[in-house]
This record gives sequence, structure tokens and C-alpha cells, in this order.
Amino acid sequence: MQGKLRFLLVPAGLAVAALVAVTAATARTSASSSIIIDGTTDTVTNIDPAGNYDFGTKAVDFMIFERLLDSGPGKLAPHPSLATGCAAVGGLKTWSCTLRKGVKFSNGDPFTSADVKWSFDRSVKIADPSGISSLFTNLKSVTTDGDYGVTFHLKHAEATWPNILTTPAAQIVDHNVYPADKLLPSTSPQVGTGPYMLSTYTAGQQAVLKPNPNYWGPKPANGGVIITYYTKSSTMKLALEKGEIDMAFETFTPTELVSLQKESGITVHQGRAASIRYFVMDTNRPPTNNIAVRKAIAYLMPRQTIAARVYHDQVRPLYSMVADGLPGHIDAFASIYGRVPSKAKAAAVLKAAGVTTPVNLQVWYTPSHYGDASADEYVEIQRALNSSGLFKVSLKTAEWAQYVKTLGSTKGLFQLGWFPDYVDAENYLFPFYPKGQFLQNGYSNPKMNALAVKEQGAKTTAARLAIVKQMQVLAAQDVPIIPYWQGSMIAVSRNNVQGIDKTLDPTFTMRFNLLSKS
Amino acid sequence: MSTSGTSLKTYALTRLALVVPMVLILLTLVFLLMRVAPGDPISAALGGRVPVSVINQIKHQVGFDRPLYVQYGDYLWGILHGDLGTTITDRRPVSSIIVENGGATLELTIAAGIIAITIGVVVGLLAGRYRDTWIDVGGRMFGIVAYAMPVFFLGFLAQLFFGVYLGWLPTSGEASPITQAFLPVHTHILIIDAIWARNWAALWDIIRHLILPAVTLGIVIGGIFIRLVRVNVIRSLKDDYVEAARARGISERSVVYHHAFRNALVPVVTVVGLQMALLLGGAILTEETFNWPGIGQTLIKYLENRDYVGVQGIIVVFALIVVFVSLAIDFVNAFIDPRIRY
Repeated sequence: MQGKLRFLLVPAGLAVAALVAVTAATARTSASSSIIIDGTTDTVTNIDPAGNYDFGTKAVDFMIFERLLDSGPGKLAPHPSLATGCAAVGGLKTWSCTLRKGVKFSNGDPFTSADVKWSFDRSVKIADPSGISSLFTNLKSVTTDGDYGVTFHLKHAEATWPNILTTPAAQIVDHNVYPADKLLPSTSPQVGTGPYMLSTYTAGQQAVLKPNPNYWGPKPANGGVIITYYTKSSTMKLALEKGEIDMAFETFTPTELVSLQKESGITVHQGRAASIRYFVMDTNRPPTNNIAVRKAIAYLMPRQTIAARVYHDQVRPLYSMVADGLPGHIDAFASIYGRVPSKAKAAAVLKAAGVTTPVNLQVWYTPSHYGDASADEYVEIQRALNSSGLFKVSLKTAEWAQYVKTLGSTKGLFQLGWFPDYVDAENYLFPFYPKGQFLQNGYSNPKMNALAVKEQGAKTTAARLAIVKQMQVLAAQDVPIIPYWQGSMIAVSRNNVQGIDKTLDPTFTMRFNLLSKS
Repeated sequence: MSTSGTSLKTYALTRLALVVPMVLILLTLVFLLMRVAPGDPISAALGGRVPVSVINQIKHQVGFDRPLYVQYGDYLWGILHGDLGTTITDRRPVSSIIVENGGATLELTIAAGIIAITIGVVVGLLAGRYRDTWIDVGGRMFGIVAYAMPVFFLGFLAQLFFGVYLGWLPTSGEASPITQAFLPVHTHILIIDAIWARNWAALWDIIRHLILPAVTLGIVIGGIFIRLVRVNVIRSLKDDYVEAARARGISERSVVYHHAFRNALVPVVTVVGLQMALLLGGAILTEETFNWPGIGQTLIKYLENRDYVGVQGIIVVFALIVVFVSLAIDFVNAFIDPRIRY
């Protein structure tokens, strides 16, 4: 009898345990139902703002920390955030900002000018290998004017200094928490003034953000965010399809996006972005030291084919180094070389220069750093150039770490991509054309250098943008680089997530605080 | 008896002494291979963004332009003091990577090891016992296919079939994001943490996440065991003591299960230990396939970023595990079989 009773008690006990487990799970599910679960293939380096210069970390940091000025959503020009305003004082070498009053850090500490000075000074002093402090190359010193005033003294005039204040380099930390000369470990409590505070961070696994009770702005539209890190987009796609995550930002391959677009219950959100892809040519080394060769390649660049065939129209053809949609952009390459490839014009320019065809070209690209589609992208370029009969292209590849180390020194023609530090035309020109450009492709033009100096000292936006347009025309004429596509900001979500479209803009910032889940 | 004891002691000391040059060669190889491989972490992170002068300045700051022998000396000095270093890309001490991500790898390898042994022993025993029958043919074929199948391919098929098509199991991760976010961490081994917290729903969630990666890795490793166990069973069944047992009138069932099988498994124990390297290697690919947050997945990330310190630290730990497991097996074997000492 006792045995039988035990026999009955076992399933009964199991049933009770299961009920308890299910009840607990249900209770927790309802409590966590407003939490957005995001997936990403990006990685986090150091959450401390003085130690990162990458997208994965920016996505977390922009929710925890704030900057004096912000860019987007909607308005791209720098506008008030922790500062109520910033203005140049007696020229463009000194910029003063008035800080917002009544702002508190997530730990309750008041936000003052001491925190601003501390944040900038420590970033310069730490000079982290991530390179983030390179954005402050022009910063001489920071001084405070009382609790709510701060002045930036620059080494030389810089009209776009307010744009620098919108970058991840300019995030403000609590001076009571962050060391002056070293990074705060990512697993330590992070203290900022942003809409969220970091609840937990497990490297390579997840970052858990919960609403900051001291946030001065509108409360987040959700109960928190869990960012889950994936190493492969295919795994992230399966997780999204199964509903293990609510949304994914970034990155799927073009093929995966096409597949996701066809699935019910899932929405692919596509917005304007400022990332670009470009083709660099060495202006010192044959055969591209001959401008006719560079121009002929520009006439043949198959932009539409790449956009349609390789990226399924998830990118758009680009005709200037400055991303389309930004103030100052002009389609300089379209004006000179046309919107579609022209074999006749390419042949004519080579013939006029007395170049013997076919010209042998060795073209380099990197197969995974910019996504798997790079291989297809460069097969299209090879096909377009070879089919003209004017070129004979051989493709070479190297993985990123090796590729990037010897760009201009060993490679004459190569692929690169760019994402701006701040959304302004200047940031698409200065790193590539004037003196000090990083491409090592030998390009140098005193006219371009003079334009760059004039642009940085321009007193009005109109005057500055006029110079930006001149620089684009000169860049297209000299053609040391051929820009060929502009990307989109793409996020994929299940249909119960709202608000994603509000945050898709060229700043490439996923403002999780605007998202809600039904 | 005393001779035997001394001999075992000598053997153990010699074997231990050999570990030192072995580990030193290993450390040197890892150090040199990382330096010989093209690329460096600073260029990988900043190349294509900032001028070469800035990159060189940063390399100088972190000491990458120092002579190789100086860097090597620092590296060995750190290891001698138990400091495996701090990664360059995300400033994580290697020791914390081992602690935080090691739990996931341990969970996966133990579960996969159990599955591999279970599959290997059961299928191998049956195949050996019923030699040249359809059971044997099926078992051998399964073993060959399992061993030959790349773990990432088998994993992907399992994800599609059990995760997407049937919808029975999660396809990635060590637990669902919500479980992971709210489960208090004590040991970094989620199963133990869930039991510690008496959170049975979380425990079930974690076990569900473990099934696909563990079974995938277990099947691949199990393929090796199947062949090994089968061969040993066949050999044992022909041995004199089995014939003697039969001659004594012991039932065939008892002969097979109590005599032949038991003896056939002795050499398998050695091989199981030696498969530790294969298990860890397989774990790297399995972790990558299933987004399993173990040390292997972390290793791949650091390899991609050319993070010398991260790669060196993790490989050294992996290698030390294999070295010490081999050492332990040698001791066990020497203890069991005195012939090994001579």
C-alpha cells in the first residue's frame, strides 16, 4: 500500500513542480514582456567611452551615456542634448557650451562642467589603442566656467567642432566614478546620464539595459533592452525566425535579407544610411598613375549591376564620396562620367592618352570584413572591366588583418568602406583627399589642400558647403578614388516591435528607447 | 613490491619533468606563430580609418615595436607569475575569460563527452557482438558517417530540422536571453547556477539549449569510439579467457556482458582521455555554430582581431588542459599496467 502511495506521490510531485515552474515562468514572462530582445553580430570592445571606436560598443554606449550635442533622429545638424547650446567665441578656435541644469547621472550624482572636462581630459590622456582619442587631435584644452559652462580651446579653427561633440568620443562620464588615466572595466557599473543604465554585461553574450530612473528626458517606451551577441548572421536569423529575439540590428547578408523579406511575421526596416563603399587607385604607381586609366575605370564602374545583382537593391549607386542626402552632396562623378557605364567613353579616353589596351590590373578586396558579398561585388567589377576589352583584371584577396596592414604600400587598386565619425560632408572628404589622408595611394593636390583649409575656417554653413562642392568636383576630376555605393541602415524585427523606423537615419544609431513591443 | 613502488615514482617524476620542456616549447610556438601570422591587432582595428602615423604611434604606446625577444621575455615572465595577460581589443584578463566563458565550454564538453561515450559504447558493443549482421553494418556506417561529418554541417542540419522544421529545440545560445539576463551568476556554469537558484524553469530552458550542441558534438566524437569499441569487442570475444569461460559452462550472455565487454572497455578508457584534444577542438566549431558562449567562440573572435594576448592565453590554457589530462592518463595507465613503466 505504501509502495502504491509512493507511486502516486511521484507523478503528483512532478506535476506540482511543473506547475510551479510554469507559474514562475509565466510570472517572469509577463514582467519581462515589455523588454526588447535585440540580436547583433557586432561586438563590444570597452564600454568605457574612452576605450572604444566601433559600432557594437556605440550601440550600448549611446543608451547609457550622452553627449553635449546630438545628431538625429530627424534633424542631422548638431542640436542640444546635455548642452543647451554651443557657439564659437571670437572665431572658430574657441567654442563655449552652456550645460543643461538639473541633470543627474544614473547613480544620482549631479551633472556639471567638471564631468565634461574630466571626460575629455581622460580620453586624451588614456589615448586608448582603439584610436577614439584621434577625434580630439585638434583639441588643445577644456576649461570650465562655473558649474554649467565649458569652453573648448582648439589648436586651429574648426567649423565642424560641434559635429565632433556628437561623436562617441564626446560621451560624458561621472568624474566620481571613472579613473583619470585608465579605463573602467566593462563589467563594472557604468554611470551615465542616458535613458538606460547597464544592468549586466557578459562579454560576448549579452548586455542588459534597464531604464535609468534619473533620466531627464522622456522615459523609454519599453521596459528594458537585452542585446544578445551572435557570431554568425545565419544563427541570428534562425533565432529571429523562431522568436527567440524580437529584432536584429546589424548585420544580415543580402541573401538573408531577401529571404527575411518574404517571411510573414517579420519586417525588414530600411532607412537612409551614410556608409559608403569605394575603390582606391594608386596615383603614383603604374598603370593608375596615368589619369586616363583611372578615368577609364570610372567610366566603366558597374554601380547599378552591383546594387541590383549583388545587394538586391539594399544599397544605392553613389556618385560622390559624400553620401547622398547630406548637405553639400553633389553627384560629381555622374556629371563627369555619366550615371551608367560607357565603354565608348572609356575607350576614347585611353586612346586619346595613347594607352595600349588591354591594360593589366591587379585588384584587391577583402573577403569577409565588409561582408561575404564583397567577392560577388568584385567579380562584377572584374566582369565589367574585362568585357570592355580595355582591361584585363586579376582579383586578389587577403583577410582584413593582413589586407589593411599593407594597403597603399603593396596594393595599387583596392576596396575600402567608410562610415563617418559624424554625419557631415567634411568627414567624407578630409580623411581621403587633403594632405595627411590615410589611404597611402599617393594622391596629393595643392588645390585640394587649400580648399580643405578654407573649408575648416568657413564662417557660414553656406560658404562651407560651397567649398565642399568644389572639393567633390576636384575629387571626381582627379579620380584617385571611385565611390560606388551607399548603404542602408537595416533592422529586422518581428511584427510586434514598433518604432524602429523612427530611428533609422544616417547616424546609424539604434535608439532603443524609442522602441516598444506589443 | 618495493621495486615496483620506486619504479612508479621514478616514472611519475620523469613524466612530470618532461612536462616543463613540453610546456615551454608550446608557449614558444604559440608566441612565435602569433607574431609570424600577418597582421596585428592595432592595424586590424584602425586600418582603413586613420593615418599610418597614428597606427604606428599607438603600436609604440602598447609596445608592439619592441624587439621580439623583449616581448617574449615579458610574456614568459607574466606566465611564470600566473598572469596570462589582458586582451588588447577588449581589456579582459585572460583569467577572467577562462572563468566566465570556461563554464559554458565545460558544460558543453562534459555533456558531449557523456553522449559520445554512450553512443560509442552502446553502438560499438552491439556492432562487435553482432559482427557481420545488419546491426554491425549499420553501426559501422553510422560511425564512419558521424566521424566524417564536419561538426558545423551536422550542427546546421540539426538546427534546421529540430529547431526550425520541427520547432522542438532552440537553435542557439546557452539559454534564452531572458533566462540569462535574470539568472544570478555564481559559478558561470548555468546548469549549476539554475539549480543553485532553484529556478527549475531556467534549468529546463538551459537543458533544452544544451541538447543540440551537445548531441552534435557527441555524435561526431562518438564516431571514433564506435570503431574502437567494436574492434576491442571482436578481439575480446576471441580471447582465451572468453573461450575458457564458455568451456566452464557460463551462459553466453554472461560471457559476453561480464567478461568480454568489460575487458574490451579497458583500452577505451585511455583513448577517451586522449580524445580531450579532439573534444576541445570540436567544441570550438560547435560553439561557433550554435553561438555557444564558450572559450572556443571567444578564441575565434580574438583570432579574427589578431589579438595576440587573447589567442596566446586561450591556446595555452587549452594546451595545458590536454597536457595535464595526458599526464593523468599516463599515471593511471602506469598504475594499472606495470609494463608501461619500463
